[in-house]
Amino acid sequence: MTDLNVALETILLLASPFVPVAVGVMLRRKFRPAPAAEGAEPAPMTGSQKMGRLAGNILFWGGIAGLIFMVVVVLNYKGRI
Amino acid sequence: MKVLRTLLIFLSLALAGSYAFALEPVLWNDNNFAPEFKYFQEQAAFTAETWTALSPEARMKELLDAKEPALERQKVMKRYYAAAMAKWSGPALKNYLSRTKEADIKAVDLWQGKEKAAAFVKKLALVQALEKKARAEGLTEDDALALGPYLLPEAIADLRSLKASAAALKKQTSAEALKGPESKSGASLNKFAGADPSKLGADSFSKLYDNMNVSGTDPVVAGGGRYAAGAANAGAAAQLTAPQTKKAAFTVPEVKSAPAANTAKSTSLTSDAYGVTIYTSGAQQPQTFRKGEDAVAAIRKMPDGSITKVIFYGHGSPGLQTVGAFDVDAESAGEILKGKMARGGVVQYSGCNTASIGGMTLNPAVGLSMVARRLLYFSLPYYQDRADGVSAEQARQQWEKGWNADLARDTSLKVRGAVVCGYRTFGLVPGRLPGVTRLLGNQEATTPGVVAGKKACYQDGKEVPAQ
Repeated sequence: MTDLNVALETILLLASPFVPVAVGVMLRRKFRPAPAAEGAEPAPMTGSQKMGRLAGNILFWGGIAGLIFMVVVVLNYKGRI
Repeated sequence: MKVLRTLLIFLSLALAGSYAFALEPVLWNDNNFAPEFKYFQEQAAFTAETWTALSPEARMKELLDAKEPALERQKVMKRYYAAAMAKWSGPALKNYLSRTKEADIKAVDLWQGKEKAAAFVKKLALVQALEKKARAEGLTEDDALALGPYLLPEAIADLRSLKASAAALKKQTSAEALKGPESKSGASLNKFAGADPSKLGADSFSKLYDNMNVSGTDPVVAGGGRYAAGAANAGAAAQLTAPQTKKAAFTVPEVKSAPAANTAKSTSLTSDAYGVTIYTSGAQQPQTFRKGEDAVAAIRKMPDGSITKVIFYGHGSPGLQTVGAFDVDAESAGEILKGKMARGGVVQYSGCNTASIGGMTLNPAVGLSMVARRLLYFSLPYYQDRADGVSAEQARQQWEKGWNADLARDTSLKVRGAVVCGYRTFGLVPGRLPGVTRLLGNQEATTPGVVAGKKACYQDGKEVPAQ
């Protein structure tokens, strides 16, 4: 039981840095600018769409920064830096 | 009617008496509150004198506050003792011999009583002596029989084969292989080559990471657990309790102007920075030492109350700070700095995770650091112990306490009056980044420059504003 608990906790902890990246990707897809017809101007995004895409960008790039941070921390732990 | 009146009188008297009894102040070491008082003693929270100075209401409040952690600690110590007195496997034997410290024995003495502590000491002493003998000359049948009550049969068999395997290893290992690759950056330079940290705006930079006011302001109540400070602490006691080097007093290098620092500058791409920096009252320049042993020798020669600030710089882990090959834990720091710190002087551990994680946080960087700390200092060693055959419960108990050890707080209880600071997080030093360190030429800096990390400071076990 203890092993199972620790394994579950480890999985959750390992997954946690990826959560903002995944949410960011979803939001960026959901609020992707609509493709314009050939030769036509793309339809302007509404305010809420812009906000959604901004939130997606922040989560995505913040998440990537978080992952890099984790790599740095692990390198630090290993005594490389 | 008469009977009823008599009953009422007795009832009133009993009520009045019980009220008076309730107001009676609880005396120091009252048996009815044994766990709480043991907890106070272990945490050095009160003495008989300071307890007597409290009002009866304040005493009751302290006892109520301490009840839960004290009972928890009592349970932990009961389990610890049970595990310690069970027959050890090979890995458990190794763990106990390398990690058991005087503080652990004291804790057993306090919580389990003198007889049990004596039994534990007897077991440790016998096993340690016979383990040494097993290495040197091998075990006889009588020795194996003596170990029977304390070790599992496979652990005894392991010990019996120790001499043969040591001899085989010696044969295989040439002197050259033992020497190992020479570190370009670590070996030659004993001088400080980095910039003065105070001129790098370290404090303002670290705000990016650490000054989130939403978390970590409450001191973490340490439930003890010092007996299981983790694998990173292995051997720390051995190194730190015997720091009495016989070298001559170290001559203090000039911080920046020493020409040797420039000529001997390492060309290494990666950082090998660590050292001890000591600020004393009345001195213009701090004294910096590359080797911990040199710093200890210098500290021993300093007058009492003369150190205003001391920085231990290197890699840290929960409950332990390293300075190159030299390790510092709360006990050794207490021993080294005993009486030497000026009132309000600062002991700074510039190493990762040298304080506990603290409370909740909204800072994502701090949160990620907490996640990493849990993974690296609980999950990882847990799996390593399991792979070594340690039982799940034993491994869990050991690392559950060790991963969040608070070196700064524990040190503040040993070095009374001084402010002891550590980092709740991984401390990132941009100057240590590969390549950057070469550009800055600070591969062997003995004092940290910019440190991005969440700092926590304690004085006498209580959290105080970061310094």
